[in-house]
Amino acid sequence: MTTLFLYIDPGSGSYLVQVIIAAVLGGAFWIKKFWRKIRSFFTRGKKET
Amino acid sequence: MTEITIHPASYRDPSGFIFDRNGILYRQVNRSYARQYETLMRSGLYDRLTDEALLIPHTEIPDNFIKSPDHHLTLLPRQLSRLSYASEWCPEQLRDAALLTLRIQQLAMEHGMSLKDATPFNIQFDNGKAIFIDTLSFDTYDPSKPWIAYRQFCECFLFPLYIHRYALTGTHKISSAWPDGIPVSLTARLLPLRSRLNAGAWLHVFLQNRVTSLKRATPESKLQFSKTKLTQLIGHLHVLVSRMVNPIVPPSAWSDYYSETILGKTYLEAKERLFRGYLHSIEFADALDLGCNDGRFSKILAQTGVPVIAADFDWPCISKLYREKVPDIQALIVDLANPTPAAGFRNAERACFTDRAASDLVIALALIHHLALRNNVPLPLIAGYLGRLTNKYLIIEFIPLSDEKAKELTARKQTLPAGYNLENFESAFSREFRIERKDPIPGTDRFLYLLKKT
Repeated sequence: MTTLFLYIDPGSGSYLVQVIIAAVLGGAFWIKKFWRKIRSFFTRGKKET
Repeated sequence: MTEITIHPASYRDPSGFIFDRNGILYRQVNRSYARQYETLMRSGLYDRLTDEALLIPHTEIPDNFIKSPDHHLTLLPRQLSRLSYASEWCPEQLRDAALLTLRIQQLAMEHGMSLKDATPFNIQFDNGKAIFIDTLSFDTYDPSKPWIAYRQFCECFLFPLYIHRYALTGTHKISSAWPDGIPVSLTARLLPLRSRLNAGAWLHVFLQNRVTSLKRATPESKLQFSKTKLTQLIGHLHVLVSRMVNPIVPPSAWSDYYSETILGKTYLEAKERLFRGYLHSIEFADALDLGCNDGRFSKILAQTGVPVIAADFDWPCISKLYREKVPDIQALIVDLANPTPAAGFRNAERACFTDRAASDLVIALALIHHLALRNNVPLPLIAGYLGRLTNKYLIIEFIPLSDEKAKELTARKQTLPAGYNLENFESAFSREFRIERKDPIPGTDRFLYLLKKT
């Protein structure tokens, strides 16, 4: 098997910044999901009354 | 005799290269890329990308035309007639090229592949739509790694768009000054303070700038990533970029040139009638509209079914025209007083505008007074240059010094350019062309000419 050498430089810190951004996005995703759950819990409650 | 030349820009990627054989461009796939190429073709990715017109289609040819020892396959891609570069694109074109790159990365990941580079040079505009042209940009995807092309994507697409968003500069000059992308450290210094309140700019510019300047103990190769994370990151970039360009193009000095001109509607209608009359009397396979403004005349040219390059130095005009998505019109930002130079290593990688734009029919309406009176270009030089761009016919409007628009340009000049008159205009252009038709434009002192190249 041949491996290609990396012909573009990913750039120093470029992997680390993606790890951090992905963590932020992941966090935002869970907060959104959690928030939606809370909201749907209350709105569902309203409809029933 | 068969003539083969390797494309002067095709030396970076060891996966293969482009060569020209008798005027047709081919792409060689090297042996070292055979595995990746087979994945592209067999995983369904190639079919998906070409079905959606995101990637240029090709046919495989077994011939090893240049007897290369690295030869695996030869590809004959669908040929594109007219190339353009990010240094000539309006912000919307750069945005669409960025969105195309991200969309392809998303689809590639679904098929076990990933883009190994993200540069606007991988993209061309074909009939007004961005299309990916580098078939060898796909590598096998390793889900444990972040995106290798992330930095390049930011520097070539995201950062110019951010600078444009806050400074309304257009992106073409940034792409021209930094063809390989504008560095994050500079972008962070150029963006205004309020951009720090923007979550996208904060993450991709300011945080990235901070992180890249850190000295770290852990090597980056040890960092773990996942497909979910990369999918989220690419999706996030897609949302950022699609929201990036302000939907309202700011008014520029030229964007209302035609609608606001005090010469008025009658002048335009008369000019258009003459223009259409000229078009009926000539044959041409492609056209170039210099100083196209809102593209009124480019659209008339496009109605004849030929490909048209509509060039203007004013980016809001080009933004507006590009948004209209008129089939056959390739809208480009080009300043005729300083047309796009040949660029890249040996000045050979990217041809200059002059070499790419030459067309059967060139039109230069309400243009030469700008070159002559604003830029002080003498008439014989203008004639010589237009002669270089024209293969067959030139439709040109002469605007005398007595004209309101010419007066605006000369109002603050202490001396008027010597020799700018109809007689000298005709004698200068007679060296390159023969006058086929000459008509006064009713209600003005202007003249419209149909010239044939001699």
